[in-house]
Amino acid sequence: MEALGINLPKLIYQIINFGIMAYVLYRLLYKPVFTMLQERAARIEQSLKDADQVKEQLANAKRDYDAEIAKARQEAAAILMQAQERVKAQELELISQAQQEAERIRSEARAQAEQERALMFRDAQQQIAEMVTLTAEKVLQAELKQSHSALIEQSLVDLAKIRNN
Amino acid sequence: MARNIGIALALLALAVGSRIIYPMESLAIEVRADDLIPNTIFTNSMLVSLLVNLVLIGLAVVAAGNMQAVPRGWQNFMEWAIEGLYNLFKGINAEYAQRAFPVIATIFFLVILSNWFGLLPGVGSIGICHAAEHNETSMSEIRLAVSAPVDNMLPPSPFAEGSKYIGCQAGEGIIPFFRAPSADLNFTLALALISVFYTLYLSISKLGIGYFGKFFNLNGVMSFVGILEFISLLARIPAFTFRLFGNIFAGEVLLIVMIFLVPMVVPLPFYFFEVFVGFIQAFVFAVLTMAFIAIETQDHNEHH
Repeated sequence: MEALGINLPKLIYQIINFGIMAYVLYRLLYKPVFTMLQERAARIEQSLKDADQVKEQLANAKRDYDAEIAKARQEAAAILMQAQERVKAQELELISQAQQEAERIRSEARAQAEQERALMFRDAQQQIAEMVTLTAEKVLQAELKQSHSALIEQSLVDLAKIRNN
Repeated sequence: MARNIGIALALLALAVGSRIIYPMESLAIEVRADDLIPNTIFTNSMLVSLLVNLVLIGLAVVAAGNMQAVPRGWQNFMEWAIEGLYNLFKGINAEYAQRAFPVIATIFFLVILSNWFGLLPGVGSIGICHAAEHNETSMSEIRLAVSAPVDNMLPPSPFAEGSKYIGCQAGEGIIPFFRAPSADLNFTLALALISVFYTLYLSISKLGIGYFGKFFNLNGVMSFVGILEFISLLARIPAFTFRLFGNIFAGEVLLIVMIFLVPMVVPLPFYFFEVFVGFIQAFVFAVLTMAFIAIETQDHNEHH
């Protein structure tokens, strides 16, 4: 053994040296590295979980957004339809108002015309009566005869006819 | 093509020329680690194992002193190495991978750095001159000496007349400052003992005293198998010791012999080979320890 250099104190030195190194490396190297590896693995797992969660949230948000958009579209369409209906109703109302107004104006005009015609007729009748009376007076003054009275009668009948018309 | 041939010829010329420029008279290889300080047990391999410790602690501090969530540089490399080793151990035995990791990974890192430290220039070749006659144990040293003729036509040799080492007197030997711990049997035997006894400790703590039932029983042919098992357990100590020592020591000898024969170019492939061997031996030591833990901690009664 001595020829090979094996010597008990040197052997013990190497064993102790190994023990110290194993402890030192455990504290300085293996433990921190394993802690870091575990932490990193946990962090990666957490990140993946978070990423899934975010993806799910994103999908939910997208779904909500789509639903909102669809709802908004529906509402907009409804509002548009309502507006169109209202406009149509207003239009119809306006038209009917205009028609009523026109009718009113027309009937007023008609009444006025009627009134004026009646007035004119009365004037005319009066004037004719005056003229007839005048004429009759003149005729009566000139020659008051039997035949003439018949003529006057006839004239008065005719005048009445015209009036009735 | 012609360029490649030219490079090959230049390398060959360099190799042959180097043999003439750097002649070596003889070389001496010692199996034992030399005492650096006389009358103490402090050897050159102990000095290197201290340096290996410092390097490892330095690496650990640089890598894990200020851990970042996003690893960079040494932290990234050490995380990769440790995770790789851990997964390897887990592949062998998931039950004990975590518990045994500090011991086996320390074996791996100490062995690989010790192996590679031995390949650094200056290890084994720089040291203090000492008179051979003062070395009382020189007779028991196992020496491998190779001699070669020295060409006297060449430029003056830096070696003193009759001396094998620059700066040393004739007849003086050298005690290298550095020697790879793996090329010292104390280191490899210490690791072998740790490996085997740690396996025993884990086995006994799991199976209790019943663990020894596999070695000692009176059940016909199984008693013989038990004896074989016991011998194979004991044989692991020298197997671990001499596998590592033999590979690393032989690697050093191979490099020394190659440098002695052809100082330039030719040793280079062997050098790379030794880097590879250094890794493989550390790997084998660690993996075998883990495998023995896996085998020994199995409850043998479960199979019957």
